[in-house]
Amino acid sequence: MLAAACSGQYKGMPREEVLDYQTRATYGSLHAMATAYAEAINAAVKEDTLHPGMYADYGVALAMMGHKGTACRMFNAEMRAFPESRGMVMRVKAHLLPDMMNDTVANLYDTANIQQLALWAYDSVKAMQQLPRIAAVIDSTDTAWLRMQTPIDSVDIPIRLTANQKRELLQQQQAEVEMRKQAIADSIAAAKQAKIDARKEAKVQREKDKKAKEKERKAKAKQKKKEQTLKEKAKKEQAAAKAKAKKEQAAERERQKKQKKEVGK
Amino acid sequence: MKATTRGLIATALMAMLAAGCSGDKKMVKYGEVYRDHPATLYIAPLDDRSERRAVRTMEDSAYNASLDVATRQLYLTASSPLVRKGYYVPGPLTSAQMASTETRTLKQLRNDNITDYYDDLGMEAVLFIEVMEWNNTHNSWTVEVDYKLRSARHGGELMHTRVRATKMLGTDFKGNPKPLADDEAFAKKYGCDLHTAQRCRLVEILNQFVLGDLPSGQRARGNNVERYVSSHPEYFALHITPDGSVMVLKNEEDL
Repeated sequence: MLAAACSGQYKGMPREEVLDYQTRATYGSLHAMATAYAEAINAAVKEDTLHPGMYADYGVALAMMGHKGTACRMFNAEMRAFPESRGMVMRVKAHLLPDMMNDTVANLYDTANIQQLALWAYDSVKAMQQLPRIAAVIDSTDTAWLRMQTPIDSVDIPIRLTANQKRELLQQQQAEVEMRKQAIADSIAAAKQAKIDARKEAKVQREKDKKAKEKERKAKAKQKKKEQTLKEKAKKEQAAAKAKAKKEQAAERERQKKQKKEVGK
Repeated sequence: MKATTRGLIATALMAMLAAGCSGDKKMVKYGEVYRDHPATLYIAPLDDRSERRAVRTMEDSAYNASLDVATRQLYLTASSPLVRKGYYVPGPLTSAQMASTETRTLKQLRNDNITDYYDDLGMEAVLFIEVMEWNNTHNSWTVEVDYKLRSARHGGELMHTRVRATKMLGTDFKGNPKPLADDEAFAKKYGCDLHTAQRCRLVEILNQFVLGDLPSGQRARGNNVERYVSSHPEYFALHITPDGSVMVLKNEEDL
């Protein structure tokens, strides 16, 4: 993976969001940064061009947002992808997640859905804020049971919840994810349809314009021809009048000559 | 026949050796880096020694904020050229967490023993970046930065360069600077003013120029090929001309 990074084609860190977070450290900018990291990792994992330190940075962002289980897995993924980072990651883990030092599970399947995971984690926080009864017991960091049950992705759900509550919460989260997916798919389809309609309209308009232009051109040509005919006619009349005048002049001269001769006689 | 062939080979070898040894070469400048071969590199928090204006007006606070953003950008863009060269560099958030656990001051880190970074964290070298000065006129922006790379194995100095970088822009008939399209795109993307964008782009190019000159990391290709490529001197001035090209003044006469 490092070799891929060395080849020059790698996905860099989201500098814009990091700079924004460092300038204005708010929950919104933190979430934007985490999402940007998730997107960058997602893209890099697909192309196998991962920037060193990306998993660890994303883990730090998630830990700051309170998603300790996911953050722990990101740190473990960093150690797995870049073994030379072990010492550094363990130090950061000890600082941020002191009670998860023994957790070394790196479920790399997560990395393919990491963006989804970030959004889900964010939604689950919001969902928990709406459920004060459940939120009141969120104090555990032991998520081993959850990882076994839901290996794809999971958030820190307390072990003290009853089985039904856990199931309900998971179902709710899955339904929310499905709804989001559906909403995104709908919006994409609507956008596509709008694009197609706009293209059709534009085509019809173009044809109309073309016809109008053609009509206008024909009318102009007709007018021009008419004008030309009139001009030619006027010219002919002028020429005929000229010839007539000449003839009359010649006849006048002839008559004058005759008169002179008669006077002479 | 054999003697002639041997003679030819010897002549070719001599010519190659002579070509490899002439002038200012990377092997000479980065000899310690080649000897130490660090693979992991930690960028210590940036030491900003530049002066800020005393805040009396809104303009002063905007100027100070602009320098702060540019300084952060200097730190953020330092890792990219190193990663491209094949080093493992922790990201900015991880580095900030590591720095928060550090009890020594930056000055102590810069000069004292840092072998614990190798023993405990596995970082083989530590890069210290020090901003010395910011300066600007109506159409030029200047920054002076000191880069120092120390080995975490034995604490020795691997590289030390000080650069004075200037970015100049052309002016229109009123004398106002004409920004480049890249700078305008940067300002639009980051939502900052053009002065900040100029400074941010300047430090980005500077990092690329200085840190991109380091030898490739152990695992990168071309580690041995580039040994005899010319390197930058200890101190040099870098000028970014109005057309966006980079000009380096290396000799004392030029400076």
